[in-house]
Formats: sequence, C-alpha cells, structure tokens
Amino acid sequence: MTSATYFEDVVVDQLKTTPAITVTAAHVEMYQGLTREMAAPGDVPDVLPLCMAIGLGWRIKDPPMAVQAFIALDWKIVRELRVGDTMHTSSRIISKRPMRDAGLIIDERTILDQHGEVVQQGRFTFLVAKRQKEASA
Amino acid sequence: MADHRRYFDEIELGEEYESPGRTVTEADIVMFAGLSGDYNVLHTDAEFMKSTVFGERIAHGLLCLAIQSGLFTRATAPYAMLGSGGLRWKFKAPVKIGDTIRLRAKVVDKKDLDKPDRGLVTLDRTILNQRDEIVQQGQTDLIVQKRP
Repeated sequence: MTSATYFEDVVVDQLKTTPAITVTAAHVEMYQGLTREMAAPGDVPDVLPLCMAIGLGWRIKDPPMAVQAFIALDWKIVRELRVGDTMHTSSRIISKRPMRDAGLIIDERTILDQHGEVVQQGRFTFLVAKRQKEASA
Repeated sequence: MADHRRYFDEIELGEEYESPGRTVTEADIVMFAGLSGDYNVLHTDAEFMKSTVFGERIAHGLLCLAIQSGLFTRATAPYAMLGSGGLRWKFKAPVKIGDTIRLRAKVVDKKDLDKPDRGLVTLDRTILNQRDEIVQQGQTDLIVQKRP
C-alpha cells in the first residue's frame, strides 16, 4: 500500500510551495490538440495554468493526499500568463470538515509567475479519504 | 478577412447554446495526465480503481472543464474575447472512458467594466453526458470587447 496523506493527517494553515515549471509552446499545442481551444501565438489559454497547477501540487514532497473526488472550484484569473513564463504555486488548507468515511478540505491555491506576481488564485474543495481502521488485536 | 467575432454589445441576455458531443477517450486521459502532471490513481491506475466505487479510471475533472472550454467555441460564433475573469464550478458526477459529453450554456449577466472598451459576460454552463446527467456545472466570467 502506498503511503498517503489521509484526512486526519491534513494540517490546516500550513503554507506549501511547489517547484516551478516553464509554460512552453509545446504545452499550449498539446492543450489545444486536446481541447480545441484557440489561442493567438504566445498566448496561454487560461485553463492551462490551472491544469498544470494541479500537477505541481503532486510534486510537493509529502505523501500525496488521498483525494477521492474533486468537488468544487472557485477561481479568479488575475493576469495573463505568456509562453515562456515560469509558474509555481503556493497552497494552504484553510478548512477541513469531517464526514463519515472521508472529509472535505478547502485548499487555497495561488499561481505565481517568475516575478512573484499573482497570475491566478482561488479555492479547490476536495473529498479526502479517512485512514482505514487497522484490524488490530 | 471578415471579423465574425461577436462584441459585448451584440451578446444578448438569455442567449442559449448547445455544443456538439465529444467522447472522452482513454487517450484523452493519458494525454492530460502527461500535460498536467496529475497522475493521481483515480485517472491512471486501472487495477486500483476496480476496488473503488467508480469501478474504473475516471477522467480528470479539469480535463472535462478544459474540454467544455473548447466545446464552447464550437457552440456559438466566437466572442471578441479579451480574457477571462474567473469561474465558480462544481464537479457533480464522474466521467468515464467512453462517455460522451456536451455543453449547454446560457448568458445570465452582462456588466460594464472600469475600462470603457470592455464588459463582463457571465454564462451558466452545464456539462451533460450521453444519459443527460449533469456531470459538471458552474458559471464563467468572460471579458469581452465592446464594438470599437
């Protein structure tokens, strides 16, 4: 069994910062092939940095959160990102609410560019599994 | 070339659009995992997913959000877009490999912005599957140029 961060282990209010990634023309082309969304040369479609932000989140060196479902998203586009810009994200769990076998967490995430300027920002709501009760004696 | 883009002034409250359908394939999910770096087991581990309530891999929520963004461009003539303001979104049901999704959208608000050359158009958007079940739903704010 792979180790994971379960609902009980999620720490509220801890700021975490991811590694960075340069957004290239290849990313934009792949994204356009997948979605058929249009973009002028040099532009980055707004949803692409959001998609890449999720991947960056998995590169934090903690055991991955045991996400069972992505529930909701409340998101603001603050400024445009351009091809060649390098983005990273910071995140902070701002609340957790237990339910029966899992719990809801709200993750406040910010995408920043290479100058430290905020590009996009908002809140993700995830359903996170609770630790399975061990069958101990 | 003629400009077929629709300006803020031309977009009417209450306009409704429906896109063609698009089948979400295993290839879409694999490509999206590579592009986003999101290799969560929900999307990539077929064996693990057999033991879950889903029974199989499911598409990334953001993959379907991205696909609907493309479907919007196939549902209506392009807006004279200057950018996007944000979105409020709910992921209501899983999309599985082979499901066919389509977008239904409606203009629900129009607002002037501080800069006089643009306005904000808010759309209600619903992603439906082949059984007409709502899989995702929310609102998006688009910044649209006014007629020059």
